[in-house]
Amino acid sequence: MTRSDAVMIEARGVEKWYPNGFHALRGVDLTVEQGEVVVIMGPSGSGKSTFLRTFNALEDFQKGSISVDGITLSDDLRHIDAIRREVGMVFQQFNLFPHLTVLDNLTLAPVLVRKLPKADVQRRALALLERVGIAEQAHKYPGQLSGGQQQRVAIARSLCMEPRILLFDEPTSALDPEMVHEVLEVMQALARDGMTMVVVTHEVRFARQVAHRVVLMDAGVVVESAPPEQFFTDPQHERSRQFLSQIS
Amino acid sequence: MGPVSPVMVRPGPSQRLRRELFASRFDGLISIALIGGLVAVGLGLAKWVLVQAQWTVISANSTLFAVGRYPLEQQWRLWLLTTLLALATGLSWGLLRAFPRSGAPARSWPRNDRWAAAILVVLALWRPMALQLALPIQLRWWAITGLLLLARWAAGRWGAAIPASARRWIPLIWPLLYLVGMVLISGGLGLVRVAPSDWGGLLLTLLMATFSILLCFPLGVLLALGRRSNLPLLRWGSVLYIEFVRGAPLITLLFLGQNILGFLLPGGLAPDRVWRAAWVLTFFAAAYVAEAVRSGLAAIPAGQLEAARSLGLPMPQALIHVVLPQALRVALPATVGQFISLLQDTTLLSLIGLLDLLGTARTVMANPAFLGRNAEVYLVLAVLFWCCCAALGLGSRALETRLNPNLTPSR
Repeated sequence: MTRSDAVMIEARGVEKWYPNGFHALRGVDLTVEQGEVVVIMGPSGSGKSTFLRTFNALEDFQKGSISVDGITLSDDLRHIDAIRREVGMVFQQFNLFPHLTVLDNLTLAPVLVRKLPKADVQRRALALLERVGIAEQAHKYPGQLSGGQQQRVAIARSLCMEPRILLFDEPTSALDPEMVHEVLEVMQALARDGMTMVVVTHEVRFARQVAHRVVLMDAGVVVESAPPEQFFTDPQHERSRQFLSQIS
Repeated sequence: MGPVSPVMVRPGPSQRLRRELFASRFDGLISIALIGGLVAVGLGLAKWVLVQAQWTVISANSTLFAVGRYPLEQQWRLWLLTTLLALATGLSWGLLRAFPRSGAPARSWPRNDRWAAAILVVLALWRPMALQLALPIQLRWWAITGLLLLARWAAGRWGAAIPASARRWIPLIWPLLYLVGMVLISGGLGLVRVAPSDWGGLLLTLLMATFSILLCFPLGVLLALGRRSNLPLLRWGSVLYIEFVRGAPLITLLFLGQNILGFLLPGGLAPDRVWRAAWVLTFFAAAYVAEAVRSGLAAIPAGQLEAARSLGLPMPQALIHVVLPQALRVALPATVGQFISLLQDTTLLSLIGLLDLLGTARTVMANPAFLGRNAEVYLVLAVLFWCCCAALGLGSRALETRLNPNLTPSR
């Protein structure tokens, strides 16, 4: 695996208050390098999903700074759209477009946003579906697929925009246990190909095998950030030990 | 022959009747009472319709009911429009069958279509006769019905051969036909002008209804989006508008429209009385459509918009390609319900002195020659409105099925 030192995501002192006054992020720092796979873990309500969603401006924040692939997030809509073109996102609930076929789910954004010729995009989409193992479902509607298949379509849909970074927001939490594996396999293959990934998940095995770094968040701050072998065997902080004892 | 395997015995009709109507003694009593009541009402109605009612009030005024005081020498334009409408209907109908969206085998004449065709033929034969129309006019109705069915048959037969690039433009014949129809009805472009005050009857009713339905829909969608917008001015403007219009009875708005537009705009600029009413109807219905669409928008999970936005789609494209197609399908039944009440609300136009169907009916009933024939007139009116609303309702249900991705197996 080759990892260059180019910084893909740089978050500094990010703070967020919800409109009801809840202080969700209390100064979070994170640097993600190109080709790095970072797994964010933490108890529910720790702000990990919220933090992930600030990277492509699905959530706003009030203090601190985030830059993605050299573009600084600001209120400027052009910056936000530019970042969203480079950052793919995979959701817990898949969020496929139910009124479009699988193939159209993949081609919609590249055709509309990147203005690529439809035939070219379709060819690439079919190749991607092949890669995630569901090429034969291309003309079905999302409602006709299993959860695992839907999540693999969602990953292929993100990849079809040729993003430089992929964000995963608990991608396996809504899946039946026997389908978790097929999705994790696809993610593992992506990591092997050098995709920069930030993954919010509870899958310890995935974190151990694939992540370069595991980040534990709690109550809106980063508690610990360490390589997986160190994080799981010799955590430095009491809160990490407590968390690990709860999930194992 | 081998041993007889147990088979499902389908009960015969007499057995089924017995089970459904006379399962127990009490069921039997209820059934007998209801059947008796239905037969009595049916016989009474049949006796009145066939014996007592005098239908001359309808047949003598059929032209008035159809088009009002539209000048006789210009009525060929309406015939031409009806012919074009029949052709477009037949063509679209046939094409819908030629390109079935559901995975069901493409059948060119499903049972419902045979029924519809049979009803059309019966109507074409019976109606002109019942109205005692002159023979040339009867012939015209037969010809128009024949054309419709011919177009239906031809499009169903050869529609699949039309190349996809040309097929995409076919739906455009409807807006085009609407514009052509407007010119044909009102004149201009070399045709003699027929003032809106001369339009009447079913023509005026349908014209008002289609005009308001077509315009209130996009307006309602914009209002619904405005109500959910992040821009406070847009949001509060939409809320204010919707709540004001929904808080006022249509009839007051119609009177208000007739007066206020006259005050606001200098004499020549204010639209004609008929168009003023049409705009009021449009703006009125838009508020209700907005609420229907809003319920559709609320039914779409926030994740859909988030997914579209995180794929880089700008807001307008995310709405057009992802959110609205789903929201409008959810809102379709409520929206069509709104269209149906809009169609019926056109009867209020008679109260501000326009000669729509009800207005025409009132002038006819005021004619001493037809005194006391109110029941006949109102029954015909009710049936006419019922037909229009039933058509809207059936169309909406068909559209719902066609747009439902979960009923659509893979190609």
